[in-house]
Amino acid sequence: MNGVLATYRRELRAYFFSPLAYVVLFFFLVVNGIIFVYLIGQLNDPRSAGGPPLKYFFSASWLMLLLLGPVITMRLVSEELRSGSIEVLMTAPVTEGQVIGGKFLASLTFYGFLWLPTLAYAGMISLYEKVDWGPVLAGYLGILLIGSLFLAVGIFASAMTRSQLLAAMMTAALLFLLFLLGVFEELVNNDVAKKALGYVSIWNHIDEFANGIVDTRRLVYYLSGTLFFLFLASRALEDKKWR
Amino acid sequence: MIEAHDLTRRYGDFTAVSGISFSVNEGEILGMLGPNGAGKTTTIRMITGFLPPTSGQVTVDGKDLFESPREARRQVGYLPENVSLYPEMRVDEYLAYRARLEGLSRTEARSAIPVALERCLITDVRHQIIGTLSKGYRQRVGLATAILHNPRVLVLDEPTVGLDPKQIISIRELIRELGRQHTLLLSTHILPEVELLCDRVVIIDKGLIVAEGTPQSLRERGTGNPAVRVLFKEAPSGAAEALASLPGVVGVKSGGPDGSWILECAPGSDPREEVFRTAASAGWVLLELGRLRGATLEDIFVRLTTADAAAESHAAEAPADRSDQSQEVVS
Repeated sequence: MNGVLATYRRELRAYFFSPLAYVVLFFFLVVNGIIFVYLIGQLNDPRSAGGPPLKYFFSASWLMLLLLGPVITMRLVSEELRSGSIEVLMTAPVTEGQVIGGKFLASLTFYGFLWLPTLAYAGMISLYEKVDWGPVLAGYLGILLIGSLFLAVGIFASAMTRSQLLAAMMTAALLFLLFLLGVFEELVNNDVAKKALGYVSIWNHIDEFANGIVDTRRLVYYLSGTLFFLFLASRALEDKKWR
Repeated sequence: MIEAHDLTRRYGDFTAVSGISFSVNEGEILGMLGPNGAGKTTTIRMITGFLPPTSGQVTVDGKDLFESPREARRQVGYLPENVSLYPEMRVDEYLAYRARLEGLSRTEARSAIPVALERCLITDVRHQIIGTLSKGYRQRVGLATAILHNPRVLVLDEPTVGLDPKQIISIRELIRELGRQHTLLLSTHILPEVELLCDRVVIIDKGLIVAEGTPQSLRERGTGNPAVRVLFKEAPSGAAEALASLPGVVGVKSGGPDGSWILECAPGSDPREEVFRTAASAGWVLLELGRLRGATLEDIFVRLTTADAAAESHAAEAPADRSDQSQEVVS
């Protein structure tokens, strides 16, 4: 547990001591703000179907995670591999799993911190109309689950290479593949394939969450996916020793 | 304290270390010497648990490094060749992080950190950001983290590489100081360092141990007969004959362009007094008189690490040349 905690605190500190955090935070909020303003504009149009604004907000802004995932995680392990600090880290009485776990929790915390300001949107809306908080919370839960899977994928890629650029590119490619599965659902005609693709389509999942549906299948999907990639990451780190 | 048994490490087809066995005894400073690429760092990494050996076994304080890694690693403090710290952290923050990583409790850390800072003489930079420190100071921070959890063994991989001469001297002093309280394994390719610091030396070349012993015993192994260097103000006629006839002297040769003479002596003899008396009675002005150190560790090192079977004949004369150049007067 010491290893997880020590790594967690050091990585969290590293996030907020680097300019990257503030650049990411800035652009994330700008883009989210634009999406939100645009949505409100659309919904105010008398011809629009209407509906809770935050539902549409979640459905749109999760796409940013495709970029956010690689940026947040690319440094985590690659940097240690490149600078050689991995050597003193892995000769301390800690395991690979603890190190990966600590790094993952730190990135998840930072990710959560990025989303924190968007609570203001819900607050603003609640000034004008009654907000149904159930779906909002479910929406945030969906964002958290998708985020943790994406971050786990990113850490795995980061543990594979000492180049941050390569790690970011690998993460982006993997996440894009995952994203495409949802797009293919619309394109295939085979019923079985459609169903299978629908099951892993993040589009569907976030829509469900935003509608307030928390399906245990989704929970299992994201949690097991996260753990799987974290496991792969710690294996990748261990594997570095053998070569 | 550390027992390495039959360690072998291959990278693909390349064997970096093949079947090395040695032990570091409690309280001693063991030097690991070898040319670049000899397998020192690979060996060190296997001993600290960073690299698993292809075959073989390491125990620290009786605990197997790969069966009970936590207990074994806790006994070892490690300073790698390239000290890599997190540049955005402050020195004391970094030490606090390392303390937690080593499993020290909050109170233990609170008392251990000032001690480590003090012993490595970095108390005055403890609030500085590591990225702004000079290489020598970073080396000290690395050492401070190595001793933080009060390990019984310190493993230092080329601790003075890349430092300026002043920093080298102060790091060496620090190492000697640390050697009083810890068992130390020190890898280096710098010979004077070994002679200065180490109780015992292991010489590694091409992944094998080629020699082992105290610096003294290794030196003696390569030493020929003792020799004495004599320099007269003007080379007097008949001096060579007179010197050659002195008891204990077996040969006289010209010592070089400065007009000095080298007297080769029988083992165990010291003709310096006789030389003085001879010179005094003949009225020759004696400017310098001193004993030459025999083979230096450097000669042994060069001989051991360049003695390829193919280059045998060459190697036989090459070290001899070197020893002439590197001979020093040790009055």
